[in-house]
Amino acid sequence: MSPRVDPSVDLGGIRLRNPVLTASGTFGYGSELAPFIDLRRLGGIVAKSLTLEPRQGNPPPRIAETPAGMLNAIGLENVGVDAFIAEKLPLLPAELPVIASVFETEIDRYAEVCKRLTGVPRVAGLELNASCPHVKSGGIEFGQRPALLAELVRAARAATSLPLLVKLSPNVTDIGEMARVCEGEGADGLSLINTLQALDVDLATRRPVLRNGLGGLSGPAIRPVALRMVWQAARAVRIPVCGIGGIVSAEDALKFLICGARAVQVGTANYLNPAAALEVADGIEAYAAAHGFARVADLVGTLEWPERG
Amino acid sequence: MSEAALAGPLRLDAEVLDNRPEGGQSFRLRLAAPGWPGAAPGQFVMLSPGARGAAERHDPLLPRPMAVYRTLGGEGAPAVEILYKVMGRGTQLLAETRAGERVRMVGPLGAPFPLPRAGERALLVGGGTGIASLYELALRARERGPVEVLLGARSAADLMGRADFAALGVGLRVATEDGSAGARGLVTELLEVALAEAADAPLVYACGPTPMMRRAAALAAARGRRCVVSLENHMACGFGVCLGCAVPRAGGGFALVCRDGPVLDAGAVAWAGLP
Repeated sequence: MSPRVDPSVDLGGIRLRNPVLTASGTFGYGSELAPFIDLRRLGGIVAKSLTLEPRQGNPPPRIAETPAGMLNAIGLENVGVDAFIAEKLPLLPAELPVIASVFETEIDRYAEVCKRLTGVPRVAGLELNASCPHVKSGGIEFGQRPALLAELVRAARAATSLPLLVKLSPNVTDIGEMARVCEGEGADGLSLINTLQALDVDLATRRPVLRNGLGGLSGPAIRPVALRMVWQAARAVRIPVCGIGGIVSAEDALKFLICGARAVQVGTANYLNPAAALEVADGIEAYAAAHGFARVADLVGTLEWPERG
Repeated sequence: MSEAALAGPLRLDAEVLDNRPEGGQSFRLRLAAPGWPGAAPGQFVMLSPGARGAAERHDPLLPRPMAVYRTLGGEGAPAVEILYKVMGRGTQLLAETRAGERVRMVGPLGAPFPLPRAGERALLVGGGTGIASLYELALRARERGPVEVLLGARSAADLMGRADFAALGVGLRVATEDGSAGARGLVTELLEVALAEAADAPLVYACGPTPMMRRAAALAAARGRRCVVSLENHMACGFGVCLGCAVPRAGGGFALVCRDGPVLDAGAVAWAGLP
């Protein structure tokens, strides 16, 4: 018998029974997966990003398969923050920590969505999706300009007393700088990475494969890039980091923990296997037990970097 | 079966019982599916692209949506039969799987075909791989009234399941583009004739390439008949969370092929907006 391992972690004030969450945009509002798994066994879910008003999203094609990955440009499709609170949250088991993801095009609208989610009993925390194009800055992502990111996090921090995570865009030169900006503005934790901006072309039509043109790349193809950025971000700040990017198995997730992630999110893998997050959580616990760790949290940041010279 | 009676989907690593060529690029796959609740006509499953080995394979990454052709076996040992055509790398890998290997299957998924009312004649039109969505429907519709099945494909070898439909004892007409079986031409030309003959068929069921379904819908509408179609689309999940399979609705907005479909009223689809 393996010794009993404590798999629980604290992610910026959000207590999780295990370090595995499901990533925003890959798990709907949670109840869609109820036919397949016991949702209460998840560390938590990050629900589909919410905007102030319901949004319809982009015309098709919205997704395309790429080598060991996929491109998507869904385009903000969601039921809106009020319908989420009224109709989607009540469908989820009370034991499941729910993190609401917030996504908008203007800072005051971000803040308003944060406000509406604050005080809702079932919302355990917020995740600010900083990969949205900022209309007033000509479409650059909030998460691509330190000053813009700072302004966004400041406004969200002022709007909510909930634990506040910021989901960073990987489409930057210095992820450590972006991480420090968020910490400086009072974020309780960081989630990274979001999808990598990408493009594929249909040779028959000489058009982009996606109707939107550009899309976000996800899946195992991005994992080593994500791992590098998580390692860099975790070294740059004291607040906890949640690792995301191509995690399919417990082995993948363990690498993120070892590189400094306090928790992880399983994303694209949910599509292939509705039980992926549970399998990852079980595998992490088994590894911790086999390697003599009493708590999964003790694995975090145990990477041994080679000596120079 | 009413929609409320649909059983919840399963996720299982299903053992391949049999996977053999059917002619042309078509294959017939049988999967052991313990606990399988049965599928309503028109429902589908998501299948991993090829056998699942000891090491995970991530390329190609996404499962493929496949119509449930039919459910075999009794309650003791249900099996799911899939007819598919090799179209790309995913289906090529599927074609290479051998008996005893396992593929991940999630299903049954999606909204099924409405069944004809008792005594009503049903007109079923299938083109190419779309034929695979119609067998269970023909089987169930036959219990309610006369059934006419019209099948079309490029050539005789691509007419998947033809012998099974013939064995059902339903009215069966086929068309091939090269004339190697049945009438030379398109299956929608057969539909034009059938609609003129069968004034007692209020509902046309169509599944096949988009231009075929669009034409079938127009022909049905011109004769004042209702047409329901089963759409195909790329999708990553099959159960409503990737939002990748959206198609435009006639009234604006989008329907998800996996959740709102695959069966949709032809009049609800904005055909010009389909990719």
